[in-house]
Amino acid sequence: MKSSATEKQGIVAVLPSSRRVILAGAAVLFVALCLLPTLYMFGVSLTGPHGGLSTDNYRRLFMDARQRKLLLDSILVGAGAAALATCIGVPLGLLLARTDLPAKRLLRLLFVVPLVIPPYVLGLAWIYTGSSTGLIARIFGRDLLSAWTYSLTGAIIVLGTGFYPLSMLAMEAAARRMEGHLEEAALLAANPARVLWRITLPLIAPSITAAALIIFVLSLSEFGVPSLLRVPVFTTEVFTAFAALYDFGAATALAVPLLLVALIAGVAVMFVIGDRMITTRRSAYAGLLYALGHWKPAALAFLAVVLLATVALPLAVLARETGQLGRMIAAVQASGGAIANSLLLSGAGATLIVALSALLGYGMGRAPTRLRTMAELAFLVVFAVPGTVVGIGLIDLWNRPGLPGEIYKSPLIVLIGYLARFVPVAALILAANVRQTPLSLEEAAAVAGAPWPKAFGRIVLPQLRAGLLAAWVVAFIFAFGELGATVLVAPPGTSTLPVHIYTLIANAPSSEVAALALMQVGIVLMPLVVVGVFLRGEG
Amino acid sequence: MNDAFLRLVHVTKRYGNREVVSDLSLDIAEGDIVALLGESGCGKTTTLRMIAGLETPDAGEVWIGGRCVAAEGRIVVPPNARGIGLVFQDLALWPHLTVAGNLGFVLASAKVPGRQRGERIAEALRLVRIEAHADAYPGKLSGGEQQRAAIARAIVGRPRLLLLDEPMSNLDIPLKSRLLSELAALQRSLGTTTVYITHDPAEAAALAHRVAMMQDGRIVETGTVEQLRRQLENRALLKV
Repeated sequence: MKSSATEKQGIVAVLPSSRRVILAGAAVLFVALCLLPTLYMFGVSLTGPHGGLSTDNYRRLFMDARQRKLLLDSILVGAGAAALATCIGVPLGLLLARTDLPAKRLLRLLFVVPLVIPPYVLGLAWIYTGSSTGLIARIFGRDLLSAWTYSLTGAIIVLGTGFYPLSMLAMEAAARRMEGHLEEAALLAANPARVLWRITLPLIAPSITAAALIIFVLSLSEFGVPSLLRVPVFTTEVFTAFAALYDFGAATALAVPLLLVALIAGVAVMFVIGDRMITTRRSAYAGLLYALGHWKPAALAFLAVVLLATVALPLAVLARETGQLGRMIAAVQASGGAIANSLLLSGAGATLIVALSALLGYGMGRAPTRLRTMAELAFLVVFAVPGTVVGIGLIDLWNRPGLPGEIYKSPLIVLIGYLARFVPVAALILAANVRQTPLSLEEAAAVAGAPWPKAFGRIVLPQLRAGLLAAWVVAFIFAFGELGATVLVAPPGTSTLPVHIYTLIANAPSSEVAALALMQVGIVLMPLVVVGVFLRGEG
Repeated sequence: MNDAFLRLVHVTKRYGNREVVSDLSLDIAEGDIVALLGESGCGKTTTLRMIAGLETPDAGEVWIGGRCVAAEGRIVVPPNARGIGLVFQDLALWPHLTVAGNLGFVLASAKVPGRQRGERIAEALRLVRIEAHADAYPGKLSGGEQQRAAIARAIVGRPRLLLLDEPMSNLDIPLKSRLLSELAALQRSLGTTTVYITHDPAEAAALAHRVAMMQDGRIVETGTVEQLRRQLENRALLKV
């Protein structure tokens, strides 16, 4: 008989191999579906008009003053939106994490709403407010804002008000994670205001910066808003180069500066978060809770203004533009196909995304630090690739004879687009969850003789319940609002709701467009409410 | 007894309906070093936090230096006006500031003029023998060095009352005994009134003049280190 020591060794030797095969399979799938379109585009951008290696596309790009302006404007939109979102999100996060405000859970849920509304819907609301026939013009009888509505500033405002919840959530999470003793130690020497400025905020600064960089990248890669507000940036230019001019080389070369900026921002995020994570472990003592006292009216006024401007106003404007409920029903009936497509594709997409991300997130969560850091960087960069760039990459890669062509002509290509864009986010969420579950649980299962797939399915996944649900909801919301890639790859006859709305904007009455946009918001708000109820149960 | 420097008068603290500290009274004379000895969960850390002003007693009063700092369920004097130095169990050194920066924050908050600050920081670091690490960040220090930095930060403001919450609990035994004897020597030279929390009778004996034993939120025994040792021995004999 073998000794128990060799038996144990046997388990250790056998288990990683089944684990390794499955995780390697997931990684290959990720590379093929998510990474390859972008890499392929990068390759295509380096070939000349007659094949062969060439930097022609880039020379054209950087010699052109217009292109340089495009780069500047793209960065301005990203930086402006990040700055605005931080200015709104940081005070909100601080109020939610550290003050004696009432009904904080409800408030948090309300303030997350702008994030789940697709940016182009906020852009539509913005147009219905400020354009020459918009709300303001109708109220004052004069066109006051339309020049300003369709502008770079307008794009910054719309994106900033759409993404501030990210900054708020990052701020709140960091404030909660912070070691409470650090503030208490300061409180023995200084008054609470000084503690906030000199100890709390500097310690939270890395998280705020990381959130700002992510918002910068998201705004930079946004297609719907600049497209609606007629602000030429790289994402819209890529779309035009391809959809209007069929200039493949130019479209791909246009995409590369975006990739580079995203890569730089991704590296910056990793650098900013870096090893400081160690000092922000969860503590037994929660941080300071500030009594608002006579600041309460001011704080409530701030909350009310933000809520009115970023949630109530857009929805009210869309409702007003829709007019009557009857129009809404008519619009929904007329566009039933697109709505059904969207629900089906987003649901299936979110499920596939979570399935693949659970494996990738697990691999990442259990990987050695350096490998994990590299994976995180790769995921951040992939997530930063604009939808239009992913779309062109997919066309480039899949539109060819044989099986790829068959897939390209089917709705499957839309699913692949969702996977390519949103697997990284879901995987990052799940990797964070995996790191919080103790390895000893799996080891106990392994020692008990369970093969890895069984240990994963029966031990690991149940631990990740909340994370899996969160990842699914996030993936669904993102997929349901996806426009940049879908508008390029959706096969004829399988239009999704965002694509349908986008094409209607030019040639349908605004009441119908607004009705569909409201419909879109209503559907994405549903999972948010479900999550709210679910989290209430969790406490 | 009313000339005691630190007085806890019938202090009670509840979390929900669990009474963590029950009707606790304790007088500590100026310059005295008292160890609060007890097992974890006996309420000793909560008592310390009420002295520091980080928790509000639900009933009773806390007096420091003849001034009532907490009474009737509210804080009368905020923590930063109590003249207290506190060493936390996890040290709580600010990771974004250097060792000198950690000490400097305390002095700047107390509005010590800039030119005196450097001298005071150097003096405090010299006392705990880590002057060489003034410009290091806490994350780069060894466990013992971090311990010394935390003590330096607690004494740099020249507090009238020094509170230590199990500051040696995360150290290995040789380092612990060396730091304890150093701390005792430091105490003798500073003469600051001190409350030292520990669950280890040996630590209490090495450092304190007097020991107060806590159990279930109450003080069950007080006395000199010698008295307590004798009582413990007697009790052990009785059990046998």
